[in-house]
Amino acid sequence: MTEQVESLIKKDYAAGFHSAIESETLPPGLDEDVVRFISAKKEEPEWLLEWRLKAFRAWQEMEEPTWAHVHYPEIDFQAVSFYSAPKSMDSKPQSLDEVDPELLATYAKLGIPLHEQEMLAGVAVDAVFDSVSVVTTFRAKLFEAGVIFCPISEAVHKYPELLKKYLGSVVPQKDNYYAALNSAVFSDGSFVYIPKGVRCPMELSTYFRINEMNTGQFERTLIVADEGSYVSYLEGCTAPMRDENQLHAAVVELVALDDAQIKYSTVQNWYPGNAEGKGGIYNFVTKRGIAHTNAKISWTQVETGSAVTWKYPSCILKGDNSVGEFYSVALTNNFQQADTGTKMIHLGKNTRSTIIAKGISAGRSNSSYRGLVRMNPGAEGARNFTQCDSLLIGDRCGAHTFPYIESKNPSAVIEHEATTSKVSDDQLFLCQQRGLDAEKAVSMIVNGFCREVFKELPMEFAVEAGKLLEVSLEGSVG
Amino acid sequence: MTDFQQSALQLANKQQAATWLQPLREQGAANWSAASWPGRKTEAWKYISLAPLQQQSNLRWGTDADDSAVDSVEQVELDATCLVFVNGRFNAARSSALPAGVVRFSDANAEQQPLIQQHLGKVVDSERHLFAALSNAWVEDGILVYVPRNKKLDKPLYILNVATPEAESAVASQRLLVVLEEGSEAEVIEHFASDAREQNGFVNSLTEVVIGANARLQHYRINLEEENLLHVGGVHVDLHRDARFHGFTLAQGSRLKRIDYQLNMRGEGAHMELNGVYLPRNKQVIDYHTNVEHCVPNCTSNEVFRGIIGDSAKAVFNGRIHIHPKAQKTLAELSNKNLLTSRTAEINTKPELEIYADDVRCAHGATISQLDETSLYYLQSRGISAADATTMLSFGFINELLNQVPEQAIQDYLRPRLSSLFGQASERVGHLTYE
Repeated sequence: MTEQVESLIKKDYAAGFHSAIESETLPPGLDEDVVRFISAKKEEPEWLLEWRLKAFRAWQEMEEPTWAHVHYPEIDFQAVSFYSAPKSMDSKPQSLDEVDPELLATYAKLGIPLHEQEMLAGVAVDAVFDSVSVVTTFRAKLFEAGVIFCPISEAVHKYPELLKKYLGSVVPQKDNYYAALNSAVFSDGSFVYIPKGVRCPMELSTYFRINEMNTGQFERTLIVADEGSYVSYLEGCTAPMRDENQLHAAVVELVALDDAQIKYSTVQNWYPGNAEGKGGIYNFVTKRGIAHTNAKISWTQVETGSAVTWKYPSCILKGDNSVGEFYSVALTNNFQQADTGTKMIHLGKNTRSTIIAKGISAGRSNSSYRGLVRMNPGAEGARNFTQCDSLLIGDRCGAHTFPYIESKNPSAVIEHEATTSKVSDDQLFLCQQRGLDAEKAVSMIVNGFCREVFKELPMEFAVEAGKLLEVSLEGSVG
Repeated sequence: MTDFQQSALQLANKQQAATWLQPLREQGAANWSAASWPGRKTEAWKYISLAPLQQQSNLRWGTDADDSAVDSVEQVELDATCLVFVNGRFNAARSSALPAGVVRFSDANAEQQPLIQQHLGKVVDSERHLFAALSNAWVEDGILVYVPRNKKLDKPLYILNVATPEAESAVASQRLLVVLEEGSEAEVIEHFASDAREQNGFVNSLTEVVIGANARLQHYRINLEEENLLHVGGVHVDLHRDARFHGFTLAQGSRLKRIDYQLNMRGEGAHMELNGVYLPRNKQVIDYHTNVEHCVPNCTSNEVFRGIIGDSAKAVFNGRIHIHPKAQKTLAELSNKNLLTSRTAEINTKPELEIYADDVRCAHGATISQLDETSLYYLQSRGISAADATTMLSFGFINELLNQVPEQAIQDYLRPRLSSLFGQASERVGHLTYE
């Protein structure tokens, strides 16, 4: 591609600042005492401590997975601190006025509205800072509608029955290495419950921020949509720029009961490391939803951050006529590596799934789509359509596709397509000839490439995603 | 080392191989014993179990004592040089005279020996391919096809490998090496067959091919074997500048059949085409793994595999395309379509792309479905029974690939066999003919 495009300058990672907030951070290391400490810190009931310990013991027996197409030095779990919270949170602030202004300033700087009267007032936010939830907005308003939206550590006390019933019901403690780790040491995250027949009156969102050095973030999100309900949930995340790699191992569980709909959107913008591949977040996430009869789960993700991504938001289509969707844009630049995709497990009759995955690789990065579509013997009349497209920008990056397609039902229909191409000189030439500069042209072509996915995002996110892509791509085009 | 690995090694000691083959045999034995036995977690063997193989405890070599079985195997009617093997043993009586350039390893002269040494076991990566390592350890005899510069093999070479059951289950090792010098041309047909009796043997076959600059190979590998035979095989090809490989493969039969196709694009401008058909029935298991390595720029590859899986059969298809960083301007395509015709059948397919160069066009597609309802309806509305319509459409699905087979004799050989195969389901299909 043209030299001039290559010479464009890379913009800095805008969310890369560090907030000087006094924290209580557990010394690095992981053993049963750490698990007990976290549990005690959150004043958890006995059953949850047992649950954590069970996961921890399972984790000790497990081996770190190596099958993903990513390379990174072995993680020393004894060098990671598993709990960190701003000291000011110890006093348990009851309202926004009591929250440390420095914390609020951090979110203001990130553009996350914590004041309910602000511009993006249509979105309720749970703001998670390292290991604790700082504030959750619009709780009163949501509560009126019967919607529960609170930190999971609070839900443990307030709604133990719901927690006991659903926690680990989709992603069991021993599901995989990182899910087991998360189950043992998860700190905070959001809990959402939408009662029967309720359409959640506003978008819910959680904003995750890693701030402290050498910590890992292990949040856990659980969303339960009761029969006939609807919820749209957004998730965003950032971290400061550091030369060390930081670990983020989250678990998200979605339960869509009969006729319910859950729409889960992520814009993942963890610090990706610098242009030399130094630093950045290791993002090892397990996300899975279970869809009962006539339910629908839709995952939309825009992955632009993280040094290493290992993430497969999946759907278990258990009920008849349930629907799973996965829309993904994964962009990697410099030395980023992403191994992401989805699993669609068709169990029920007439279940349908759609997978649209777009991978964009630039610089020296590698992005892989890894997916599984499985039709079990009972998946009568099930249907899947998969399309994975990769765009390569530059000749030192890689784009890979590893789709696993398994069928045990003759009436199920599966279609899979994948293509790989580059931003062609012809396309660029055409745009430039029409008066667009090279950078705009590339951005336009890439945006067009991702359009199918972006149109699935809620409006506020779509705008942000488009901008993120521009920022991430700058300077990489070559 | 598992018991099977152990006893397979001991089997090598019972051979009397020429000393010049010893280095390869030793290397093979070393690789074989160093390899860890594949299990469910081994990616390349994820979907199939090697248990039927491991159950063969008392390994022994097959014999060609009973070569009457060859009579019961219908051969492709072709004006060709015919070489017959029975249970892995060369049967001179039933074979044509060997033309110039075609020689058994055991008869190789001082000129041919270094040629064999130069290429045998070198095209295949025996550290990655477990059973290739075993084949190396077992190499005693085999066929070398050597076509000198700008020459053409006069007649197609037809290699018939017949398996027959023996009192105790026996092992056959098949080996073929094709070396085409610059600008040469050849047609090779490998036909693996068995008589109709219940089989109890294990065949380990390995074909290595070196296609020189501008040379061209038309290659067929037809596996039509009885239900209980176990077969693990591989075709490994190196293509040099502007070389052409046209392949066709068909598999039916066997409780465990695994065939690897490995194509290495080593010279610019090389082109390969590979069409494949797999038709497992009953309790058969057929596993095709193909891997195309695009190592250099400006090569093209095109693969089409289709399968019909019925009864309680299982099929696996894994098609990998690997574009190396240097391989700009590559065009690579792969298509895999499957029909599942029974509730107990199973298909696992995985088309893979691994791409490290940007100026390439790669695409793969995979589908799994049943026969198109509207087509079935259309035929029935014209007075054709549902069973016949199913047969016709299933056959048509495969016939698209058969029609592309350049050797008419092979089309003529396969067509009635396949139509009767699909016809079994509908019983009264005898009167249907397909042209």
